[in-house]
Amino acid sequence: MAKQLAFSIDLNKCSGCKACQVACKDKSSLPIGVRWRRVFQYEGGEWLNQNGQMVPSNVYAYSVSSACMHCVKPICMEVCPTSAISKRDDGIVLINADMCIGCRYCSWACPYGAPQFNEEQNVMTKCDMCFDLVDKGERPACVESCPYRAMDFGPLDELQAKYGTFADPAPLPDASITQPAVVYLPNKVTKSSGNADGRLMNLEEL
Amino acid sequence: MDTREWALLLFTILGQAAAGLMIVLMIVRTYIAGKADSALADRLTDRSLYMVVPMMALALFASLFHLGSPLHIVRAVPNIGSSWVSREVVIAVVFVAFAALYTFMQWRKTGGEGLRVVVGWIAAIMAAALVYAMGMVYMISTQPSWNTFATPVTFIVGSLLLGVLGMAVGLVAGYTANGNKNEGKATGLFQTILQGLAMTAIVLLGIEFLVLPIYMAYLASQGGAAMQSLGMMFTSYGTVLFFRLFILFAGAGVLAAYLYRNASVAEKEKTLATLTYSAFALALVGEALGRFLFYATHYRIGV
Repeated sequence: MAKQLAFSIDLNKCSGCKACQVACKDKSSLPIGVRWRRVFQYEGGEWLNQNGQMVPSNVYAYSVSSACMHCVKPICMEVCPTSAISKRDDGIVLINADMCIGCRYCSWACPYGAPQFNEEQNVMTKCDMCFDLVDKGERPACVESCPYRAMDFGPLDELQAKYGTFADPAPLPDASITQPAVVYLPNKVTKSSGNADGRLMNLEEL
Repeated sequence: MDTREWALLLFTILGQAAAGLMIVLMIVRTYIAGKADSALADRLTDRSLYMVVPMMALALFASLFHLGSPLHIVRAVPNIGSSWVSREVVIAVVFVAFAALYTFMQWRKTGGEGLRVVVGWIAAIMAAALVYAMGMVYMISTQPSWNTFATPVTFIVGSLLLGVLGMAVGLVAGYTANGNKNEGKATGLFQTILQGLAMTAIVLLGIEFLVLPIYMAYLASQGGAAMQSLGMMFTSYGTVLFFRLFILFAGAGVLAAYLYRNASVAEKEKTLATLTYSAFALALVGEALGRFLFYATHYRIGV
């Protein structure tokens, strides 16, 4: 493989505004219910009663923007019965809508919830890393839309050199499962995958 | 649980019943042919055989409702090198083809005795492969409540249980329909086989009841998404779990035990028929409820 394209997100800068999610829906004209990019609000900690006063103790909250990770080991591609899912030379994982039969097996397997069923087309769809823009030398819509400039895009090794190799903040799954092509820059409260004391606060938005 | 998972429930339950029946049928047929002759073996087993293809056809038909584009099912074949769904589809089709061929040959009594047995055994081997493939489909590393030893084990045991009781249904139906044409040898074999089937059902039930607590303890030890699945089995679906065990026990346990005790009483044909049909029906419902739980309580890890 020539290179592996990837996203990176600086959790210090991300405010959870979801501009990336909206830009994605707009760029790819996604129907209601299909969200290729999703922003998870993860919170934990508690308030303690000290002499009748409630004081915060280790309370934390942060947002994690997540889409298809165009994994180095795409489990979706492995399980798809039709071979509709393929990985390009630049690492972008794509679903061929003409081959997909909508069995949804990929959505059972992907730990990022990336493949989602499109009720209008009766096929699975997911983030295509705006490959049409990428092929023209531009950057994906989500990256361009971020008002905080928290997102970056490029070859995985370059992003890792710039930002490190942290790829699995909670609530995301352990990175060893599929080796996601992503880098997260943690902020001071970011927990690692598998953290048990926090929870997702915006389930109705996901 | 939505429509598409109901489709999979029907596909796996009916498919496993058909596969289990095909396997049990060939074993029973071989046993009778050894003890008596092929003609008697045909007479006692053909009615059970006629249940295999309709059940499998219904299973395949139901599976289509799981797809976004049912008409493009043939596209599910190409990734046979790495996807268990591809393998499952191919094996299911090969199985139903051989089962249909065998059924036709048995019905018309064409193709010669030896060839028929070979075709029947190929169908039975494909049936075993199908049950295995069905289990492997759910061995996904990101689905902790599926990705355990219990999935292939319960698929295999459930399949044999439905096969054994399905076999008993066809056996009793055939014997009853033959009426006073049953001579001593047929009656003796009929009773022995019915008792054997009833006893096997009870043993298989015992395995299921042994596997369940081990499976649950395993889920509890895993925590996370596995624990979430376990919690669902006792909270939202506690009633389903209770009825699944109760109905299965009533069918494959209590009724099978009565069947075992009454099998040798020749003049009780009507009782035997009622017992057998009820045991099969209850086991089918019990297994279907179990499969419902299987689909209703799975949680994928991650987001």
